[in-house]
Amino acid sequence: MNAVPSEKPKPERFDPLRYRADFPLLARRVHDKPLIYFDNANTAQKPRAVIDAVDRYYREFNANVSRAVHTLGEEATSAYEATRDKLARFINAPSRDEIVLTSGTTQAINTVAYSFAMPRLKPGDEILVTTMEHHANIVPWQLMCERTGARLKVAPIMPSGELIAARFIEMLTPSVKLAAIVHVSNVLGTVNPVRDLAKACRARGIPLLVDGSQAAPHVPIDVQALGCDFYALTGHKLFGPTGTGMLWARREWLEAMPPFFGGGEMIKTVSFDKTTFADPPHKFEAGTPNIAGFIGLGAALDYVEAIGRDRIAAYERDLLVYATTALKSVPGLRLFGEAPHKAAVLSFLIDGIHAHDLATLLDHEGIAVRSGHHCAHPLMQFFGVPATARASLAFYNTRDEVDRFVAAIGRVRKLLG
Amino acid sequence: MPSSNLYTQAVLDHCRAPRNFGVLASPTHVADGANPLCGDTLRMELRCEDGRVAEMRFSGDACAIARAAASMLSELAIDRSDRELAGLQQVFIALVGGKVAGDDRLGGLNAMRELANHPVRQKCALLPFATLRAALAGLRSATTEGIE
Repeated sequence: MNAVPSEKPKPERFDPLRYRADFPLLARRVHDKPLIYFDNANTAQKPRAVIDAVDRYYREFNANVSRAVHTLGEEATSAYEATRDKLARFINAPSRDEIVLTSGTTQAINTVAYSFAMPRLKPGDEILVTTMEHHANIVPWQLMCERTGARLKVAPIMPSGELIAARFIEMLTPSVKLAAIVHVSNVLGTVNPVRDLAKACRARGIPLLVDGSQAAPHVPIDVQALGCDFYALTGHKLFGPTGTGMLWARREWLEAMPPFFGGGEMIKTVSFDKTTFADPPHKFEAGTPNIAGFIGLGAALDYVEAIGRDRIAAYERDLLVYATTALKSVPGLRLFGEAPHKAAVLSFLIDGIHAHDLATLLDHEGIAVRSGHHCAHPLMQFFGVPATARASLAFYNTRDEVDRFVAAIGRVRKLLG
Repeated sequence: MPSSNLYTQAVLDHCRAPRNFGVLASPTHVADGANPLCGDTLRMELRCEDGRVAEMRFSGDACAIARAAASMLSELAIDRSDRELAGLQQVFIALVGGKVAGDDRLGGLNAMRELANHPVRQKCALLPFATLRAALAGLRSATTEGIE
């Protein structure tokens, strides 16, 4: 056998069709048209590996976790806890014990609000957020402000959808006791400079929470490199089941925080005189969790890692450029969010056409986009619109789908314009 | 555009050239309607005489379905009492919900029957009626929540 000259392997071309075949739902038709699923920022579709993992758990080793000593209990516990390890690797957490499994980002943020912020906040204190936050990163803080007399402060954005980072940093005054920012905007796609903001927060001793819901499926995440204190994400946007998510927090914070929910699973000993709590992360995981969901999420993380997050990000960047150019060719179309560093989310409006009408008519063509306020009322107020239409792409979407989408928009314009 | 039974010629016509769009110089009843689902707003201004709607105008930023429904409603409401309109509202809710196929008393609003196949858009069409009734009840605002 001749020696093969050692060559760097050619990077394999990213073929979305190959991965598309892994998602059974993408084969369906809607209104007798092939489905074009452009609502990934709302929730992503699930690969067969995830569906099978959930199915297998219920068929083969359904049992409760962390308490049953029988074989099924051990198998379930080991599969469930494996997801904690995978999540820790996924965000490069220093320890698996810093991963609190939650029902999603909302529960993760509320855990920080009730267990971390509430006991610390005093009248006159401030929490800093930005104009582009999802309601999940606004409302919990407002509830805390109501209870404690603290105040919510909002860092502004530019019309391009970029955060005015210098303003955010200026607003980190001594009265700010916590800052909370979205990593990737669900409406604008803007990727925020979390690393720089975290550095500024740390220099001032202000803990920073990052809402990573939209970031997780699209950009590689390294919480140690980012330098934040809390990171929240949700599983269902990451191709995993609904009702799964995670809060990562620095160990010292988790140890200092009282439990949020009380119940089984989160205790060491219970008597009517005194209950002692389990160590983190279990202290924050009362009750029987979404075992099947987390096993499914583990499969989703494996699936995404097998493709490679850098490759996914590169493909989506390319698709975003293609889709942006195509959309801009539509007369009367206004795009919201043109930050230079953004994920594949396209919010837009067309002159004289309401977002809901557009979404309904696109649905008739088999195209799923979201219309509405995207749980970001303050951002809609900033742009002075009640609603936008939003196409959010994933790595299983194609240029051909973008072409068909733009052609369908043309037909809607003809009908309603 | 296939399958646009919802966006019929009648609906598109009312949407493009809404009847009674605007405001009144001296309304006796005014209410603002909001659909929290989408952020749409609709203002209804009425002038009532002897317990009947003499004039009605609507304005606001809303989708084609809500605009068309408001426009069609404005043709139906004239000369009606609140009691009559309450009855018509119930018939209209039944139509939109697919419980009746059509009813002569609803006039142009019968064009909204296709909404029975679009559950998430039903509230768009129900907002104008809810706002009109709120105005007649002396309320300043109405939402689509709790209409059913």
